[in-house]
Amino acid sequence: MIIAISGKGGVGKTLVSSLLIKELSKTGKDILAIDADPDSNLPEALGVDVDRTVGDVREELKKDTAQGKIPTGMNKWDILDYKIMASVIETPEFDLLVMGRPEGSGCYCAVNNMLRKIIENLSENYDLIIIDTEAGLEHLSRRTTQNVDVMLVVTDNSKRGMLTAHRIGDLAGELDIKFQDLYLILNRVRPKIEEEVVKKAQETGLEILGIVHEDEEVTEYDLEGKPLVELPDDSNTVKAVSGILSRILRE
Amino acid sequence: MFEDIPVDVSPMYEGERIRSANMFVELAGPKSLGAELVQVEDNVEDGKLEVIGPELQDMQEGDIHTLGILIEIQGEALEKELEGVIERRTHELCNYIKGFMHLNQRDQIWCRVSKEALEAGFKLEDLAKALSILFKEEYPIIEAIAITIMTEEDKVKEFVEKARAQYEQRDARARELSDEDVDVFYGCVMCQSFAPTHVCVVTPDRTALCGAINWFDCRAAAKMDPDGPIFEIGKGEVLDEVKGEYTTVNEVVAERSQGTFDTVYLHSVFGHPHTSCGCFEAVAFYIPELDGIGIVDRDFRGETPLGIPFSAMAGQCSGGKQVEGFTGLSLEYMRSPKFLQADGGYERIIWLPKEIKESLSEYIPEDLKAKIPTEEDAANIKEMRAFLEEKGHPIMDRLESVSEDVEEMEEDPALEEEPVAYAEMSMEAMPMAPVAFAPELTMPASGGVKIIFKNAKVYAEKVIIKRK
Repeated sequence: MIIAISGKGGVGKTLVSSLLIKELSKTGKDILAIDADPDSNLPEALGVDVDRTVGDVREELKKDTAQGKIPTGMNKWDILDYKIMASVIETPEFDLLVMGRPEGSGCYCAVNNMLRKIIENLSENYDLIIIDTEAGLEHLSRRTTQNVDVMLVVTDNSKRGMLTAHRIGDLAGELDIKFQDLYLILNRVRPKIEEEVVKKAQETGLEILGIVHEDEEVTEYDLEGKPLVELPDDSNTVKAVSGILSRILRE
Repeated sequence: MFEDIPVDVSPMYEGERIRSANMFVELAGPKSLGAELVQVEDNVEDGKLEVIGPELQDMQEGDIHTLGILIEIQGEALEKELEGVIERRTHELCNYIKGFMHLNQRDQIWCRVSKEALEAGFKLEDLAKALSILFKEEYPIIEAIAITIMTEEDKVKEFVEKARAQYEQRDARARELSDEDVDVFYGCVMCQSFAPTHVCVVTPDRTALCGAINWFDCRAAAKMDPDGPIFEIGKGEVLDEVKGEYTTVNEVVAERSQGTFDTVYLHSVFGHPHTSCGCFEAVAFYIPELDGIGIVDRDFRGETPLGIPFSAMAGQCSGGKQVEGFTGLSLEYMRSPKFLQADGGYERIIWLPKEIKESLSEYIPEDLKAKIPTEEDAANIKEMRAFLEEKGHPIMDRLESVSEDVEEMEEDPALEEEPVAYAEMSMEAMPMAPVAFAPELTMPASGGVKIIFKNAKVYAEKVIIKRK
């Protein structure tokens, strides 16, 4: 099963992603987390270090090719396959692949085409894949999330967050991308205005799967740069995401 | 066939990855050392399987060990040249074994054994056994096969050195592979999303325009992704060996360009040059005044002697167009012995950015090196002519015979019309500089005819720009 988390920048995609991974790793299944946001901090939220991203691998291969450093008898597929495997961060609970920086100048058709196939093959080895997408809508139009089973759109109280959520729903329809399930998650909701927020959220046309309330503890973790996966199991936010997960798995 | 091997052996396990969380041990890979090598030998003891160094059962969970796989084969029809091709299959065949991961090739292999395989009683000896059966099944020409698996560090080190020397010899042979040696070329339509009529033809002597994929890469791609954008083109009949024209290439290009082009010359910028995508590394452009060819690459920021930079030149011939006098190409193609051979190869090259001239220094014929100007030697056609004359570039002999035709090619439609001029520019000081340049220029004409100038340069004594 592939679960993708999308939404406007700063609404809490990484919070939801990292806690979903935390909860899922308790199942003992093989989990691959993909950080597809060039500006994200999923590795930090998960408490792991990144040496090399897919973007770095892409640049390395381009550079080696231009300089004629690749032996004639070796093919780039195998080299790329190896390098991608080497860039996977492996932990006992989950593996993580970080997409990293966007492309430089020049032609990336060939290398991207190879990468797509290689990552597809790699993904087939996992039971569950969680993709923390880039902010905005690009992943839809570039169809990098078209094989996703469950698309979770995260928004906060803000009108702009809601607007992006609305657009994601509309665009998926326009592009004829059929997610099995498409849900909205409300994050950082202030209990006092919850009713009003829910009402606004309903206007997006997306089904609300869960509500994560504003949480002092999360704010503290963010402030100190502490990995969000270290939030205690009895934290309200962890409990909320856990509830969201059980609803996804039940469907 | 694999009854005595304790794990499943089947193509369905291809692509299997073993997470470190599920792994018993890692062999070779980025944190260690390893290699695999196929050798055609005499007196191979068929069925001999040997493990030198610790077996899996002697290792600890989480260990990383070195790994060497030596495959010795013998057969009536086996030649040394086939070693590379057969060795290439090791990756695939190793992956048939459930619980054994194998990546890449040569001295860049990376293997893992799963905990599950170990629990089932899998040994390295079983790996050797499975490989010996699989190789013989895949290649009936193998009459005898012996496999040695090494995990003892010193042995592996020695083996890797030996293997590297073999790879080098093989690469040297591969570099010599030419269009004549193969019976299949490859086509690539990866760029059709933005250049809908562009069909890249990749041959041993001609890498793709983007420089990213050569013939070997295409061969791997067509196999790994048979429905993908890279496909085989049977070589068919040769129509013109020098220009590089083949019946099947013409047919495939016609089909894949939706009938836009039906003829392509692989090694010429004239007549029917290769179409250009948009992501080529360099452009070859014809310079009519001197009847030579200039080349400019993507990283060159200045202007070419034609007065326009790479970007403007690229804009005119990209998008899957076939524009006579222009072709996109890869820098690697400039290392090919067939580099624009129909046009005279390097003898026809009369301008190159300094950086690429230096990087290609081994490939430019010795007697021409000092005769080809760069941006430091010539910034316009007048300076180029002076440089070429001074250095005695072979183009000058050629030019004498055609110089009169060139004069006729120059067009002179003066723009002066209205009395009220907004701006005036005197062009007299720069007699050689064209005020406009177009690979294809259509002039409006009446009477049911269309006038098209190819590679037109517009010279004018005066250019007047005025408000309408």
